[in-house]
Amino acid sequence: MTDDVMRFFAAWMLTHEVADEGLKAAVLRGDEGGTEGMSGGADAFVDGLAAMVAEEKEKLKRDLEARARGEEVAIEQPRDPALEEVRFEVAELRGRLDNIESLLETLLRKLDR
Amino acid sequence: MASRSSVIVRTVLAHLAAALPSARFGLASAPVRRAAWARGLRRAFERLGPAFIKLGQLISVRPDEFSDELVAEMRSMQDAVPPLPAEAIRSVIEAEFGAGPDELWATFDDEPLASASIAQVHRATLASAYRPVWGETLPAGADVVVKVVRPGAAASIRADIAGARRLAGLIARTRLARRFDPVALLDEFATTLERELDLRVEGRFSDRFLFDFRDDPKVVAPRVVWPRSTARVLTMEFMRGWRLTEIEAAKAAGVDCFGLAVHGATAFMRQVFVYGRYHADLHPANLFVTPENTIAYLDFGIVGYLTPEERMNITQVMAALVYRDADRAMRYSERLGVHVPPDRIEAVRAGLGTLLDGTTRPDGTRDFAHFGLGFLSLLGEHGVRIPSGYGLLIKSLATVEGVARALYPEIDIVATAQPFTTRILGAAMGDPARLRERMPEAVRAALRVLLA
Repeated sequence: MTDDVMRFFAAWMLTHEVADEGLKAAVLRGDEGGTEGMSGGADAFVDGLAAMVAEEKEKLKRDLEARARGEEVAIEQPRDPALEEVRFEVAELRGRLDNIESLLETLLRKLDR
Repeated sequence: MASRSSVIVRTVLAHLAAALPSARFGLASAPVRRAAWARGLRRAFERLGPAFIKLGQLISVRPDEFSDELVAEMRSMQDAVPPLPAEAIRSVIEAEFGAGPDELWATFDDEPLASASIAQVHRATLASAYRPVWGETLPAGADVVVKVVRPGAAASIRADIAGARRLAGLIARTRLARRFDPVALLDEFATTLERELDLRVEGRFSDRFLFDFRDDPKVVAPRVVWPRSTARVLTMEFMRGWRLTEIEAAKAAGVDCFGLAVHGATAFMRQVFVYGRYHADLHPANLFVTPENTIAYLDFGIVGYLTPEERMNITQVMAALVYRDADRAMRYSERLGVHVPPDRIEAVRAGLGTLLDGTTRPDGTRDFAHFGLGFLSLLGEHGVRIPSGYGLLIKSLATVEGVARALYPEIDIVATAQPFTTRILGAAMGDPARLRERMPEAVRAALRVLLA
């Protein structure tokens, strides 16, 4: 049983190591390639995506290290997009009402003549 | 109507006849002949007025449907007409508001800033402060521009379109219609023009644009003053700066042209790939760089819209260019309505592969126009019809590249598109519904590799 567990963890570690090596290689290809180095195909996209994810990971690492040192890290807190959309819709509605009010004033001006 | 039709026919024939010597009476080489006819047609269109000037502008953004010579000639179409007297413009304002300009604005300049086939633009100042739909309040006395539709423009355009319908029906029965569908083109043209004739549509797009770019202080658009706007009058914030045709002056004033070139191109990518609505009439006169180092988008008369599905498919086609993936380009172009006959697929794929490999310039940057316009020509050579939105978008991207390169010649627009396309497709990969759909297949593939 003990041997089975050890074997299981060994397999897990090996899988992880192979996947990690594969990812590192993809990041390297994506990084080094640039656009002109992308020789084509779906694999090139995976390399490009891996390079961008690795960049994000480095940023996250820097932020966590800075926080561990007690520094303040500005975390982008995007506003709720749905709420923002509602804000715009309401503002646009106000614009339309301004426009309608102006049209009504025009109508009154014309009727007064 | 009959007399207008005969005027149109006479004008076109007269200008084509005048082009005969340049075409060496039909004996010159095909490109020289085509260039001569195109020049004659462009001059006839300029003479025939607003509907034809707009038709020329539409042709200039459709390299998929018309010859290179005609597209190039129509691109040089001048949409500048002699200004109307101030009284004519004042009477339109009076009819729209029941009050004259002097009652509506603190000041109104009778001298026009610009005069085009559909509208004339005047400067004015606001009589009172106005809080726009998006952005800071415009204070009393703020400089604005007042765009006024020329009297009679709408009626003359609609009459010409009605006349053109009969002509389009006749052309549809000839072999000319093999290359393009005249009735569909006219419908598209009529819709674009109707939108342009109602200035509120342009104003609403400007509001939406400001909202979409609310987190980007480097991209601006004019704020609209709705109480002083109607279908025929649009009051907008006056934008100070330099058109891209005056770029040397901007550089001398210390504007960061490289930064703005990259930023302007990125802003366009964002319009297409993120929002699915974009400025489809970008040219150097519609883009300003400002002393505050911002880039201002102006004149939203012609805009393009994409459904979420189209947006995703276009992102895939762009990713195909970024990652040189001909199969991906073929697969997703098909979903956008580019139907290549089965017996031509291999030839088109081979041509596409050559195009993808040949997009690198000597300086190492990628040439989108070479790819995009080359792809449209390739499809044309194989008799493949191109959906109208597809052609317009490719042309718009090629124009953005040209505009960005005018600001900074070494810019690589394909590299600019890379983060957008990769991020969007990466996000789509993480979509739970898609994961559920693809996971069993992925697990089977992993098992196949493990067991091999």
